[in-house]
Amino acid sequence: MSDAIIQSAPVWAKPTSRYSDLFNRALILIALGALLIFILLPIFWMLKSSFQSTSEVHAIPPSWWAANPSFEPYVIANKIVPLLKYIWNSIFVSASAAILAGIISCMAAYVLARFRFPGATLILVTILLTQLIPPITRVFPVYFLIQNLGLLDSYSGLILAYTGFAVPYAVLLLRGYFQSSVPAELEEAAMMDGCTYFGAFVRVILPICLPGIAAVTIFTFLLAWNDFLWASLLLSSGDAKTIQVGIGGFAGEGGGGRYPNAFMAACVASTIPALIMFFFVQKWLVGGLTAGAVKS
Amino acid sequence: MASISINEAYKSYGQLEVLHGVSLDIEDGEFVILVGPSGCGKSTLLRMIAGLENITGGEIVLDDLVINKLPPRQRDMAMVFQSYALYPHMTVRKNMAFSLKLAKASNDEIDQKVSMAADILGLEPLLERKPSQLSGGQRQRVAMGRAIVRDPKLFLFDEPLSNLDAKLRVQMRSEIKELHQRLQTTTVYVTHDQVEAMTMADRIVVMNGGHIEQIGTPMNLYNKPDTKFVASFIGSPSMNLIDGHLDDDGRFTSQEGLSWDLKDFAPKSAFGEKICLGIRPENIFVDGEGVALGEAIINVVEPTGSETLLSLRAEKANLHILDRSRREFKKDENVTLTADKHDFHFFQASSGQRLS
Repeated sequence: MSDAIIQSAPVWAKPTSRYSDLFNRALILIALGALLIFILLPIFWMLKSSFQSTSEVHAIPPSWWAANPSFEPYVIANKIVPLLKYIWNSIFVSASAAILAGIISCMAAYVLARFRFPGATLILVTILLTQLIPPITRVFPVYFLIQNLGLLDSYSGLILAYTGFAVPYAVLLLRGYFQSSVPAELEEAAMMDGCTYFGAFVRVILPICLPGIAAVTIFTFLLAWNDFLWASLLLSSGDAKTIQVGIGGFAGEGGGGRYPNAFMAACVASTIPALIMFFFVQKWLVGGLTAGAVKS
Repeated sequence: MASISINEAYKSYGQLEVLHGVSLDIEDGEFVILVGPSGCGKSTLLRMIAGLENITGGEIVLDDLVINKLPPRQRDMAMVFQSYALYPHMTVRKNMAFSLKLAKASNDEIDQKVSMAADILGLEPLLERKPSQLSGGQRQRVAMGRAIVRDPKLFLFDEPLSNLDAKLRVQMRSEIKELHQRLQTTTVYVTHDQVEAMTMADRIVVMNGGHIEQIGTPMNLYNKPDTKFVASFIGSPSMNLIDGHLDDDGRFTSQEGLSWDLKDFAPKSAFGEKICLGIRPENIFVDGEGVALGEAIINVVEPTGSETLLSLRAEKANLHILDRSRREFKKDENVTLTADKHDFHFFQASSGQRLS
């Protein structure tokens, strides 16, 4: 009797739970779909407009596809502003800052993760505190510092500023990465095998930590690439502008209204290097290189 | 190969002293095992020998050279870690060749030494694999391979078998011993497993609370433990230890109500003293001959086939017996216990030191 009750319960319960499960899944999918449209629509709009004529962009009702796709808007954009030059400037500044921040934060994070020395905690707390200060409050001190160093309107000044902004966050991130992903035995094994501390760091720790370092590098690259505020403050004259400042200038001079397709083409061009950068390092981001290093 | 002397070695972390003046001489080609419970300082001592920990006081001498200040890379020692510590981004071949490359050995020499080590350890088919593609036992072998390619003065093993399952541990135990017999390299091995220590070592160093309790051959430690701690630590299952008093007539009485006549063989120094009496489980017999230990009731029977572990209640005392007669016992069975007079161990109750 009791067996029959126990067996029958799921038969009645099953359809209800299955329908509610399906309903829940449908709701989640609809919500995710709406979110996806919300995120992707502006990007799609930018992309298709960059291949349309000005009249197509202004058309009402909107034209969702380019009837005669053309690279003409890209050519126009490059005539209005030196697009390629700006992109190159941005690549140079962002890559330099990313490499510099990567090198500095790697070494700083390794020391903070592995060595006990007086003041280590103070350094960590100070680094953490810098993350609590709103970026806008740093405008004047950083501007005058760069000015006093004679680096205003130079790539070096901007690279230095970006590196300074990225390093604290990168150090905190990499310190945690070194502590959780690299067992101390690995560097001890390397030292027993004949490495110095620095040798163990370069030959064993760095290769293992590539996913973490890649994350930090791309973070710094994107921080520099997407920045408008600091680039417009520290490096805003002539052909040395970065792409974000250049596009800002394009829009400010009314280009966005008169040549919306060229403006969108400039915007698309500005995203391409960052996308390439992301695809280039993403294999390191999904890493998992430490698998098998130690018995878990 | 080399000999190593540790003279009055101290280690402190801030105010906390964890090694209190340890002295130990290890002969050329010897296989010495440091054994003791967790926190006794055995791994710290090994790491001090390796150069991975600073030495607070005393000195470590390798072949007449004081190596206190030498960094690990200049000590010519190879170490196998508990967690294997294989380089995950390198293949087995590159893991094994790493130290030779650092030493700027020629490619021919590297190939030859790696092949030789791989041959000894049966790693040839695995040379192009990465550590993540190996089983626990294979990783352990690679770690050993990485150590032997260097032909170092000293092998250091830090609980290398702890992460392996029981069957593999027994297999690797004999492989390590065989390897030592083949290479004759001086070896210092740390473990908390006394069975590992007994089966592999030329000499065992029993450590407790940052001190060395006793140094000796496995059989020496088993037959003549210097202290109550060593007596309880060496041997499995551990020795029965009973606190009591040996009166002037040689009668031993315990608080649990045991009363045994030991006058014919108890050491003179034990008479009239509070003592701790030790008898190993395998030295107590059911219905045997020798010194009568009275009757006991069986509480638990744990047969393993070749032997049966019995937990008994004698008066109010709990005793363990390892019976190898293959007799079948039942719970609550009443049995008579005996022991050979040579198998009793007498320890001073207060200090735990052996009385002889």
